Amino acid sequence: MDLAQLYETWKAISVSGGDLTWWQDFFVKFYQAFIEADRWQQYLEGTGTTLVATALALLMGVILGVLVAMVRTAHDQQRPGRRKNPVLGVVNAVFKVYVTVIRGTPMMLQLLIWAFVVFKSRQYTLVGIFGLGINSGAYVSEIIRGGLMAVDGGQMEAGRSLGLNYLDTMRFIVVPQAFKAILPSLGNEFIILLKDTSLLSVISGQELMYFAQAIGTRNYAMMFPLFGAACIYLVLVIIFSWLLGKLERRLRQSDRR
Amino acid sequence: MIDVKNLSKSFGDHLVLDNLSEHIEEGEKVVIIGPSGSGKSTFLRCLNLLETPTAGTITFDGTVITDPKVDIDSVRRKMGMVFQHFNLFPNMTVRRNITLAPIRTGLMKKEEAEAEAEKLLRRVGLQDKADAYPAQLSGGQKQRIAIVRAMAMRPKVMLFDEPTSALDPEMVGEVLEVMKELAREGMTMVVVTHEMGFAREVGTRVLFMDGGHILEQNEPQAFFAHPREQRTVDFLSKVL
Repeated sequence: MDLAQLYETWKAISVSGGDLTWWQDFFVKFYQAFIEADRWQQYLEGTGTTLVATALALLMGVILGVLVAMVRTAHDQQRPGRRKNPVLGVVNAVFKVYVTVIRGTPMMLQLLIWAFVVFKSRQYTLVGIFGLGINSGAYVSEIIRGGLMAVDGGQMEAGRSLGLNYLDTMRFIVVPQAFKAILPSLGNEFIILLKDTSLLSVISGQELMYFAQAIGTRNYAMMFPLFGAACIYLVLVIIFSWLLGKLERRLRQSDRR
Repeated sequence: MIDVKNLSKSFGDHLVLDNLSEHIEEGEKVVIIGPSGSGKSTFLRCLNLLETPTAGTITFDGTVITDPKVDIDSVRRKMGMVFQHFNLFPNMTVRRNITLAPIRTGLMKKEEAEAEAEKLLRRVGLQDKADAYPAQLSGGQKQRIAIVRAMAMRPKVMLFDEPTSALDPEMVGEVLEVMKELAREGMTMVVVTHEMGFAREVGTRVLFMDGGHILEQNEPQAFFAHPREQRTVDFLSKVL
């Protein structure tokens, strides 16, 4: 007897009110959650969307974060006693509001606003990715700003005293050192972002969580789909943590004595 | 070569440099001494505008560098600076530390800069450290590399901000030796230091600073033998 027949037989017993042993019940629910109608493909599709959403949101977050952090640091590092650059002042103020608003409101609320107030588009996944990227940018900018400020001021002075301009000194001296220092925090942000993509499901973004919930609702059995999704997230996070650890070890090359 | 007129600098309400004027000729080795908090480091850091003066003008090589329109980067290329805490770039090899600025500022081509770095490293006896990272070096080695890094820009004047104060006593000698050689070659030098022996041996002029003023100055022999001010006498009696 193959698995499909076994499933049909036991399901029939269950539906007609008969008793199944616990492992028969386990099998039926497992089969329903993952195998029947090739549902495993939906988890795969959801995982794919989750990964793409994470990558795009991360890209957007890092670009936004670098931009905001650079402007805010440059603004704060203007030489005292001289006339401040007015454009920098305005942009800095705008970015400050951006960081405050994004960090001060729940991500789920932001996603709902993007999807149902601002865009009113049916491209929920895309809108969700956009919202995630905007959200992530605010956090990444603070991480990067912290990293830039943590680099010893003597490094900037040494670079400038050699006649390098501000941007070159940032690019070759300050940013590489800051990057190494913030990599653990950035990795953490990346992992948080990966898991936060699950919030796309509240605006019908079709990622892993969305499919898990849909399958659970359909079968009136939540446990297996939820546990399945949990396992997939966990495995992804473990893989990425391992990769990040490798990168960190590589960047620590110049610390060797 | 460097002309300072009515220079004042305050941090908030705290006046660190009080209206001082000074002239430094080409080839001079000016040694600045004084108690901590007297403003000697601030004075030195004003010379290449790492500190922006509150008032006064500084002229270097005929350019008024305190003018906001001056391209400060191109001025700094002609003024080397050595810091108390070395400030080598820990993310680069020694070779890259030395060649980065000459290459990026367009002073030299890559091969040229590397040949220059090689030559300078040999002069300070560290040619085998070109591929090391700063974390692998001793304090004395780091400071010698920092001097080489500044020299690679072929500056007209070298500013030293307490170059031996962060070193183990054993390593002070090797750094002073490099500085003495620079002096012998005729480099214009302005040195803030607590090394009285160096001031006496190498200096052509000693400035004694206290409370944001240059209280007294003289050529070294006379300065140490016959200090005129009571404050100078007190200071020297404590450090000699």
